[in-house]
Amino acid sequence: MTMDHAPKPDRPAPNLESLRGRLKGKSGREFWRSLDELSRTTEFTRFLDAEFPALAAQQTKLARRTLLKAMGASLAMAGLTGCDGKEDETALPYVNTPESIVPGKPKWYATAVTLNGYAQPVLGKTYVGRPVKLEGNPDHPASLGACDAFTQAALLGLYDPDRSQSPRHLDRPASWNAFDDVLQARAAMLDGTQGEGFHLLTGTVTSPSLTHQIDMLIQRWPKADWHVFEPISDDRRLEAARLVFGRPLEQQLGLDQAEIVVSLDDDFLGAGPRQTMQAGLWAKRRRGLSRGEDGVRLFVAEPTPTTTGAMAEERLIAAHERIAALLLGVAAALNIATESKADLNDRERTWVELVGRLLKGQAGRALVTIGSHHAPQLQALTLLINNRLGSFGKTLRFTEPIRVLPPDGEASFAKLVADMASGRVSTLLMIGVNPVYAGFADLDFAAHLERVELRIHAGLHDDETAQLSHWHLPITHELESWSDARAIDGTATIIQPLVRPFYTVRSQHEILAGLLGTPRDGREIVQETWRQNWRDDFDARWTDALYRGYVPGTAAAFIEPAIIGDAVAVPEEGKIQDFAASGVSVILRPDPTIWDGRFSSNAWLQELPKPLTKITWGNVILISPQLAAKRQLRNGDEIRLEAAGRSLTGAVWILPGQEARTITVNFGYGRSRCPLSAGLGCNAFALRDSGDPWRVPGAQLSGTGRQQDVATTQLHQGMDGFDFVRLINVSALGTDKAAARPASTPNEQHHTATFYPRHKWDDPSWGMTIDLDLCIGCNACVVACAAENNIPMVGKDLVAMGREMHWLRVDHYYEGSPDEPASYFQPVPCMHCEQAPCEMGCPVNAAVHSFDGLNLQVYNRCIGTRTCSSYCPYKVRRFNWFDYTGDDPEAMKAMRNPDVTVRQRGVMEKCTYCVQRISEARIAAEIDGRKLRDGDVVTACQQACPSKAIVFGNVMDPDTEVSRQKADDRNYSLLEEANTWPRTTYLARIETNPVGHEGEG
Amino acid sequence: MSMAQQPAQTQSGHIIPADKVTRLPLAYPKPVAWLVCFGCALCLLLIFCISAGVLFWRGIGVWGNNIPVNWGLAISNYIWFLGIGHAGTLISAMLLLLEAHWRNSLNRFAEAMTLVAVICAGLYPILHLGRPWLFYWMAPYPNTMTIWPQFRSPLTWDFFAVLTYLTVSLLFWYIGIVPDLATTRDRAKTRGWQVFYGLLALGWRGSARHWTRWRQSYRLTAAIAVPLVVSVHSEISLLLAAGPMPGWTSTVFPPYFVLGAAFSGFAVVSMIAVVLRHVLGLEMLVTERHLDLLGKFVLATGLMTAYGYCAEVFDAFYSGDKQDLGTLMDRLTGRYAWSYWGAVVANFIPLQLLWLRWARRNPLCLFLVSAAVTLGMWFERYMLLVTTLYRDYLVSSWDNYHPSLWDWSLFAGMLGVFFVPFLLFVRFLPVISVFEIKEARFEESEAQHA
Repeated sequence: MTMDHAPKPDRPAPNLESLRGRLKGKSGREFWRSLDELSRTTEFTRFLDAEFPALAAQQTKLARRTLLKAMGASLAMAGLTGCDGKEDETALPYVNTPESIVPGKPKWYATAVTLNGYAQPVLGKTYVGRPVKLEGNPDHPASLGACDAFTQAALLGLYDPDRSQSPRHLDRPASWNAFDDVLQARAAMLDGTQGEGFHLLTGTVTSPSLTHQIDMLIQRWPKADWHVFEPISDDRRLEAARLVFGRPLEQQLGLDQAEIVVSLDDDFLGAGPRQTMQAGLWAKRRRGLSRGEDGVRLFVAEPTPTTTGAMAEERLIAAHERIAALLLGVAAALNIATESKADLNDRERTWVELVGRLLKGQAGRALVTIGSHHAPQLQALTLLINNRLGSFGKTLRFTEPIRVLPPDGEASFAKLVADMASGRVSTLLMIGVNPVYAGFADLDFAAHLERVELRIHAGLHDDETAQLSHWHLPITHELESWSDARAIDGTATIIQPLVRPFYTVRSQHEILAGLLGTPRDGREIVQETWRQNWRDDFDARWTDALYRGYVPGTAAAFIEPAIIGDAVAVPEEGKIQDFAASGVSVILRPDPTIWDGRFSSNAWLQELPKPLTKITWGNVILISPQLAAKRQLRNGDEIRLEAAGRSLTGAVWILPGQEARTITVNFGYGRSRCPLSAGLGCNAFALRDSGDPWRVPGAQLSGTGRQQDVATTQLHQGMDGFDFVRLINVSALGTDKAAARPASTPNEQHHTATFYPRHKWDDPSWGMTIDLDLCIGCNACVVACAAENNIPMVGKDLVAMGREMHWLRVDHYYEGSPDEPASYFQPVPCMHCEQAPCEMGCPVNAAVHSFDGLNLQVYNRCIGTRTCSSYCPYKVRRFNWFDYTGDDPEAMKAMRNPDVTVRQRGVMEKCTYCVQRISEARIAAEIDGRKLRDGDVVTACQQACPSKAIVFGNVMDPDTEVSRQKADDRNYSLLEEANTWPRTTYLARIETNPVGHEGEG
Repeated sequence: MSMAQQPAQTQSGHIIPADKVTRLPLAYPKPVAWLVCFGCALCLLLIFCISAGVLFWRGIGVWGNNIPVNWGLAISNYIWFLGIGHAGTLISAMLLLLEAHWRNSLNRFAEAMTLVAVICAGLYPILHLGRPWLFYWMAPYPNTMTIWPQFRSPLTWDFFAVLTYLTVSLLFWYIGIVPDLATTRDRAKTRGWQVFYGLLALGWRGSARHWTRWRQSYRLTAAIAVPLVVSVHSEISLLLAAGPMPGWTSTVFPPYFVLGAAFSGFAVVSMIAVVLRHVLGLEMLVTERHLDLLGKFVLATGLMTAYGYCAEVFDAFYSGDKQDLGTLMDRLTGRYAWSYWGAVVANFIPLQLLWLRWARRNPLCLFLVSAAVTLGMWFERYMLLVTTLYRDYLVSSWDNYHPSLWDWSLFAGMLGVFFVPFLLFVRFLPVISVFEIKEARFEESEAQHA
């Protein structure tokens, strides 16, 4: 940051002649000394920047020719390019501050990354200033130590080689100084017009500091305007609250309090900023079921399969258009008067009656939710239903909005486009958004952007919006900047950097400060905000907040709002119509791994299999088996979807459980300016209408006759009558053991006969259980594993060949008819078999068993015969078919976990139970002179799991959690007929009794 | 050795000196045809070098393998080549010990074929390693890491088996050829050839002591080689049978593999016999009686292999194991059913012709049936390997296997590795054991005189 000198408005233009003049008359040693001195002057620096902006921009990746050019100015360059990759010594490490860096010992910093503006609290592990892993912050009240796949993958976002590294002007490299000049001039101009024509566009804002800066901006320029653009937003929830309570309120689902949850197309366990918290709460209550308590029962009605639907006891397949009818039906069943009457078919009526009866019986412990993409009126009716059920304050609570609402609310973005269209926008500053790609098709943001006189885009990537802007400014990743944000429960986190910025980038706060002319140090900006709140107590509380990773007591207070509007008119579109006649219905959803496209550049998330389809590197057009049969479509067939003159072309994928006439397309693909995502999938934003953002009515589909390649990691998802995922009836839990196992025998180790005695294991000896009743298939474990264990990503082509490298995969199975299947998740790491076939097969002792029960793979002993994998019944081993790591960019190499070997080409690898963490814990215990305690070793997957479905520990000690789980009736081994004695076992999924309608399919 | 100069009377009345064979290397009858063949083989060898080069440079990833199909064309070809290599030893060593004199017309080239087939087979497991430069870690050699090979692994024993088999086959073939090399040396007219064959003949002078020593060593090597025929392919079968995989883990595999190996080996020997006798004009030495006997062997081993197929199916049904049955049904009807039915049809349908005497004695017919068997056995190896791996226990890990261009090119190249040394053998060494034929004839005539 040494280059950031405050610009002087009256500074003369850099002049080469004057610079030369200083060298005149000097010779020999004196000449060189002068040249050296000269190269350090600000004037020369600016001259160089102005004359050779391309050089300054490309300092980080020097091609040979660039290097030759740069050599001409090498003296100057040497002074300019400091190495900024140091840790920020003003940040405070978590809990223990070592007096100096101990090489090999990591430092942990508590901070957060954001998703949709909401803080996802993390502890960042750094080695000598290199961040290598993010983990959930166990002390944080919202996340309770877990995190989601996006948060785990944020680390790669920091190291992303495609990140924008220098400012660009008119799509050519430029310098910050040049931009500062432009900005100063513009600020001066705005001062004269009270900010007329200045518009700021951001994503969802929860950051107190950013809010403070925006306030200052509006104060200084009252006519300036601030807009929010968030492609995947639940703004309609606020709107619904406004209908019922007269003001926008945030809803907090009390899933841990609920005995029965009815979700009408609300994927509350699915990806998103609320996933970690909601999955944790749901799992907390669900866990009661296995203890014989009244656990949560989940009823879902939805048009397209979701992870929530997969966990449901009873999943009703209902088109988007039928949700209103179902809601009216539930309302009627609870004697709530509505204007419209539900017009239900037999199947729906049975479901509604069942749900209504159960809801009534559980008043006060029931919760009805509806997807945030449904009309506010429907959501308002849902609130009234919950009120009738007595849910308020228990299973459904309200807080003031966590996000800061822009002046125009939900219409904020449309207002901006309207202003642009009418030529009222002269300066547009867009921070962290990509509206050219993700904007609504009908608003045509890109076309109106042309009318803006000065367009400035600040973002992590040189993306579609950057391309159409005059200026593109690279911003810092959250892991290298000072900021703050609120979590989903309102708890504020002060975001501190794990490392100094890699490139010459500025944070969003610093860019705004540059505009406002206020001090431009990220840390000072954030401190300034919090100093106002804390005043005298500032230093202690600041330090405390950094240590903890959150500011205690900032969670939003629950309020009990009074209902002012109890008669909700169900909108026309929600009214019952003859859906059968209306053809197909296209619904648009966020992508479970790429979200709205903001993670397109993240290989960990690109290669992460989507929870249900197991597709990687692309999106598809999801259709039902019925529609596929009718239109004679097969997986991979390319089709064209057309509606209202807009169209997209993509590959078809048949999704069992999809509503017959519903077509689902996920956002986030079809990027035109993202190197990693080039050519992948189709752009669902191209169909999106601002009037009905989640649905495309009246779409037509037609085949193009072509085929597209789709890379999936699981070709076959039917369980084919096997019992890989076992079910146990709830009525039999903890009672009669014979009855407890109707389908199979979970706990009884009916291994085939063997001559060999069982091995005597040392204490400790490690094992794992995975509770299939809690696993929601969210993939957090998979990314955590990749991050912890330096797992390489291989790309679409190799995934399509079956060469993905994930050590931990989450298998997904269907059972029953393809039209209406049950859906199960099963994470499969290495089983660490006691009788491991791989160990027998390896000719060179590369696969061996450790004294503490681990099945180890010795990479430097492996010669790559692949016998171990051929013999592995679980196929959990992964082979380095090529050299996957050698040509990683240098920056990426810094990201690797130094405790885990980077594997060479030609060797086999697999899950190690995070052996490096076991060793670390054992060493620590030995130093302390104590035995290892339960919980000393937490594997990466276990740490990340939001529902705490993974338990790891010493199986020799009967008092550990894992031993208790293994003693449970539900415990079973996968493929026990293979006689491998796996150390990883599963807890059977709990099947609840169907209530009162056995006649149903 | 007076018989040596006596011309052999053939059925057609032509008179051919029995030791024409020893003159072949010095006055080859069809040099142009040989050169064309050799040129083609060299091209294939070049393809091998390129394919292996690409493989070493870029890694196993250039092949079509994946998880779960870790082993593909390389290992199925390994088993196939090794199977082919079984006939030579079987014909030579076993029949030598049984004193079946008719073997003398066939054993030399059968042994040579064995040798090159084993070399091809042996190359495959090394090429298929992820880190082929470390292949010697399979050997129990003194090392600073003080690690032995892992003796429970079938691969360790594969390594020993193939190496032993190669060594013994080479010794057996070379010991057998020494007296004929001496004869060729004696007939060579130019200094160069005299030195060349003289060196190869190891100073053989044909003294009684030489013959005594020779007979001892030859019989001893034969006695060592015979059990190897059974043990090597039994061992190779354990590569599959030792794994817990459905469709592999079966006790029928060792005999099944040995019989299959002999089957394919005899088929290849038949093909070579037919071609050589035609090309080199050796109809007098490799007579229709020889073809008839070969045909009978092919038929017999073929029927035993068919029994193995039946036993395998029976096994699956008898166990009633769901996974085993699933694999069986998949072999019969699944994605790679072509390899199963290809094997059944090519191995056993044309084979039935060999019940007929004329078919066994008709060179073209025998050649075509043998070619079908060679192809059929290739299908079988492919089927056994791929069908088990691509769909194993967990349906979630099922994946398909498509050999890549580099898989196929290496296979084509490996045929070059096979043919180049074999053609050199045909051109420059006595392809038939002349002294043994002469000896046999002498003994026969003695018996007649008596």
